[in-house]
Amino acid sequence: MSASKYDLHAIAERLNNAARRDFLKTTAAGAGVMAAGGLIDLAAPREAKAFAYEPYPTDDQLTTVVTSCAHNCGSRHVLVAHKKGDVIVRLSTDDGRYQKDGHFGKDTFEEPQLRACLRGRSYRQRLYSAERLLYPMGRVGKRGEGKFKRISWDEALGYVSKKMIEIKDKYGPTALLDQSYAGASYGVLHKSDQIEGLLGRFMGMFGCRTNSWSVPSYQGTTTSSRWTFGTIEDGNEDDAFAHSKLIIMWGWNPAYTFHGGNTFYYMRLAKQNGCKFVLVDPQYTDSGAAYDTWWIPIKPNTDAAMMAGMAHYIFTNNLHDQQFIDKFCMGMDAGTMPEWAGSTPNGKENFKDYILGKYDGVAKTPEWASEICGVPAADIKKLAHMYATTKPAALKASWAPGRNAYGEQYNRMAAALQAMTGNIGILGGCAEGVGKAWHAEAVAYPYDQYANTWFASIKSDRWAHCVLNYPNVKREEIGLWPRQDATDGQIPNIKGIFWQGSDWFNQLTNINKEIEAIKKLELVVCMDSTITPSGLWADVLLPVSTHFERHDVALPWYKGHYYIHRPKVIEPLGESKTDFQIFTELAWRIGGPTFGRAYNPKASREYFHYNDAVDEAYLREWWEHKVMAHQGVTMPWEEFKRLGVYKFKLDKPHVAFREQIENGKRFDTPSGKIEILSTELAYIGDWTKTKYGSHIPSIPKWIEPWESLNHPKTKEYPFHLITPHPRHRTHSIFANCSWLQETFEQECTINASDAKKLGVATGDTVEVWNERGKVVVPVYVTERVMPGVVVIHEGAWMQLDENGVDRGGNPDFLTLDEPSPAGSFAYNTVLVNIRKTELEHNPGWDKTSISRSQVFRRDN
Amino acid sequence: MAEEKDLAKIKEAVKRHKKEVYVPVVPEMQLGFIHNNVDCIGCRACEIACKDKNGLAPGPRFRNVMYVEGGAFPDVYAYKVNMSCNHCAEPACLPTCPTGAIFKRKKDGIVDIDSTLCIGCRRCEAACPYGAPQFIPERNIVSKCNMCVDEIDAGRKPYCVQACMMRVLDIGDIDKLRAGTWVTKAMASHEKPVGAVKNMANPELTKPSIVFVAHSKAVVK
Ligand code: SF4
Ligand code: SF4
Ligand code: SF4
Repeated sequence: MSASKYDLHAIAERLNNAARRDFLKTTAAGAGVMAAGGLIDLAAPREAKAFAYEPYPTDDQLTTVVTSCAHNCGSRHVLVAHKKGDVIVRLSTDDGRYQKDGHFGKDTFEEPQLRACLRGRSYRQRLYSAERLLYPMGRVGKRGEGKFKRISWDEALGYVSKKMIEIKDKYGPTALLDQSYAGASYGVLHKSDQIEGLLGRFMGMFGCRTNSWSVPSYQGTTTSSRWTFGTIEDGNEDDAFAHSKLIIMWGWNPAYTFHGGNTFYYMRLAKQNGCKFVLVDPQYTDSGAAYDTWWIPIKPNTDAAMMAGMAHYIFTNNLHDQQFIDKFCMGMDAGTMPEWAGSTPNGKENFKDYILGKYDGVAKTPEWASEICGVPAADIKKLAHMYATTKPAALKASWAPGRNAYGEQYNRMAAALQAMTGNIGILGGCAEGVGKAWHAEAVAYPYDQYANTWFASIKSDRWAHCVLNYPNVKREEIGLWPRQDATDGQIPNIKGIFWQGSDWFNQLTNINKEIEAIKKLELVVCMDSTITPSGLWADVLLPVSTHFERHDVALPWYKGHYYIHRPKVIEPLGESKTDFQIFTELAWRIGGPTFGRAYNPKASREYFHYNDAVDEAYLREWWEHKVMAHQGVTMPWEEFKRLGVYKFKLDKPHVAFREQIENGKRFDTPSGKIEILSTELAYIGDWTKTKYGSHIPSIPKWIEPWESLNHPKTKEYPFHLITPHPRHRTHSIFANCSWLQETFEQECTINASDAKKLGVATGDTVEVWNERGKVVVPVYVTERVMPGVVVIHEGAWMQLDENGVDRGGNPDFLTLDEPSPAGSFAYNTVLVNIRKTELEHNPGWDKTSISRSQVFRRDN
Repeated sequence: MAEEKDLAKIKEAVKRHKKEVYVPVVPEMQLGFIHNNVDCIGCRACEIACKDKNGLAPGPRFRNVMYVEGGAFPDVYAYKVNMSCNHCAEPACLPTCPTGAIFKRKKDGIVDIDSTLCIGCRRCEAACPYGAPQFIPERNIVSKCNMCVDEIDAGRKPYCVQACMMRVLDIGDIDKLRAGTWVTKAMASHEKPVGAVKNMANPELTKPSIVFVAHSKAVVK
């Protein structure tokens, strides 16, 4: 310690005069440039003094690189890396500077900042985590034991290509299951995706691929939107929400999911404009709180019944928009039934007569609905009245209630309500549904007839069932997609799995069944940036560079109209490679230049080592031939790269189906109408030959789910478990980040009255179980969830103990791998029991990195 | 390494020390925070942005979004109170510091700790009624929100403010914020800022530079 540090004169000066010591003063290069639009009327000159926490480089002393976040959260936000050399020192987000005519603080209604959420902001922890995969690894222990050794790329890819050929030769073209998912998604070039990602095209060209067709997040909603509107682009852009007078958030919690770049913010603006909010949800969520909502607690999985009750009220009180119905709908009532319907096997009924009870003698009155859904009939009427008489009103029928037994019926019922009140195609209304809005140019990677070639396609959550029961499996049990050739109906003989951008082993339903099934496989390959719970069950782990380590462009996932450039911010860590490099090299190994060049036409085999020029060529071509050619963009590629973000300005808010309603354009359905009666479903006679496997009514109907709080099974399992998306993870991604573990913990939320009966209090640990599995989690007692309902967020990393109990608290040990006919995963159709336990919950793989989350968790 | 003590010097130092009287800095303009308790979704992006900015390990938090909930099913309410260091007019932490590491800036009233002087005695931590100072065990120092002085000096706003997805957290001239004349997205035109809410220590203790848009259940009578 130098004496000067304790010089009392210096200290006195400091106490009374804030002048900093001279040796702390430095002038930051570039400081002051960004003053425009800035803050406070701070007088110039702007001299950035060094921080009190030396050594601490200020942002302006670091190199700034604009990029984005990259996962399947439903959004896409800007991340700005501040780096020193090749190390990212910190991240910030959009502050208005990185666009055309941008300046610090620019944040307008038309061009709002794309501010990242807590997950994106913690990205350095994922990037530099102890779980990061740096080298190819080969399994040395038993499968699932988690023992690996480092191997070379040559060994890894040599083994994988040899096994692929062997398996294909021995078991045929359905032997390899594609379980790629959107976990590393929505780069236009480096795309992981269930249907048309890089893996799908690679396996399709190779000639061995079983595809997984149902989407875990929203298959019920997707099928509903396709039947009803003929498209999943049934969404408005998020700024449209600012124009609503009433927003009904049905099972929707944007405060957790951050669905859409700024949806939650525009809703705040709507609130300031006097919009009223209603929340229909078993939980009083943070969205419920922030928008000052009228909370209507509802029993899980009974949404379609409540909506039917609303429809009954609207019809019988003549509050429906008959003109709209007559003009745009098919099958809403007797008057809009097509002539052909009467002669179809499944299409004879219309919606209104179903609601009025003409067919089954049961009028779907609010009182009838109340018995099922637990909402007082008076509230159902009140909400129906509000919705039918407030214009414009947005009924936002979110995905979660669709992740249920017959979840598709809920979404179709919502569409019927949206249509009968004439809230479709108008600003401030809503036809969502899936909610995809503005159409982006999404494909820079090579795309051809192989992009989605498959030799069998099954419901995604039926793979374990298929593997375990092969060949004694009926096509309808696995939702086999029909084919137009001789292989139609052939049950795939699955012998290997590929995971790319996918932690599906941890994320699909009924994990214990998956554990049985995976033992039967001959090849399991996991490609990811970190070790994941799925990865532990793989034979080969291939390290994939994150989006900070490869060149790409990000596009909005769901809502928002912009592109974000993603340069290679830092060099790939360890020996990691991009997925595209890996598949290209595998193609060369398997099929020489023929396969190699076909798969990646712009590259030679050198691509495995030098990918920059080729990636740049694909991206430039995409920008110039797609974005500039089709989207009216004049900004050159180079300028876009320099700026970082391109924000489109739309002439008017994007509203789905505006053209149809305003200008009489046909809907993309077979009839050209909003199909409350589905043409496709009406004509189906033999359900076993369809991908659905079993009967689906041609109009939206309430169907009793296979388990719910109204079921006799509640004697044994009295609680209904729902498993919504967490806020502190994107599904299972980011689960290893200690900053995020500090913000929320994996827990079982339970109503105070139930907790009292069970004798548990916040801070206790409980075991939650049913006939499929058991998990151990801390309990959180609250008044904000409906009695009888418990909540455990999906995506916790499983941690099995020696008795097969999951100490990590992953609810998918409890969910059922029984999808709805239309493909909805039944993530929220689960009955369980609970008791206090002495077993210990394990919050993370690295216990020492788990901080005092409970201490900070809540205050009362 | 024990140094030879010079008794005369010690006496002199004690004398000099005793003469020191702390006069709180009256800043030319006091910067302060505004937080909207109702519209905040409690996402904690602000917290994480802060942790990343300041390179904090799990544990210490300069910013803390408190969750408050109450009522009985189904008649419930919930809101958030988001606080960091309040850069108080009369900082309780400052006079407790034996090394003078804590100082208040004249030009904008930011209260900061000079880490080169901090000896980790944790007195400030005990003195602050809002729990702002955070002990950093690896470095044996106390650290806290300094309103991102480096960003302020560069003409920008703090990381947490810039992180807020809902635009409900902001900074400004606290006098103007209190008067409701500061232009900010944190507050709608019909909303009125208040200087105190339930769930926080009495502001009379230190005169914190913060205002809130309070939830109806958080209003202090
Ligand atoms: S919402 Fe999604 S894209 Fe945005 S920062 Fe969070 S995880 Fe990333
Ligand atoms: S002003 Fe800076 S240091 Fe203070 S809480 Fe915000 S981000 Fe953290
Ligand atoms: S970022 Fe904004 S909305 Fe989120 S917790 Fe912080 S203050 Fe609240």
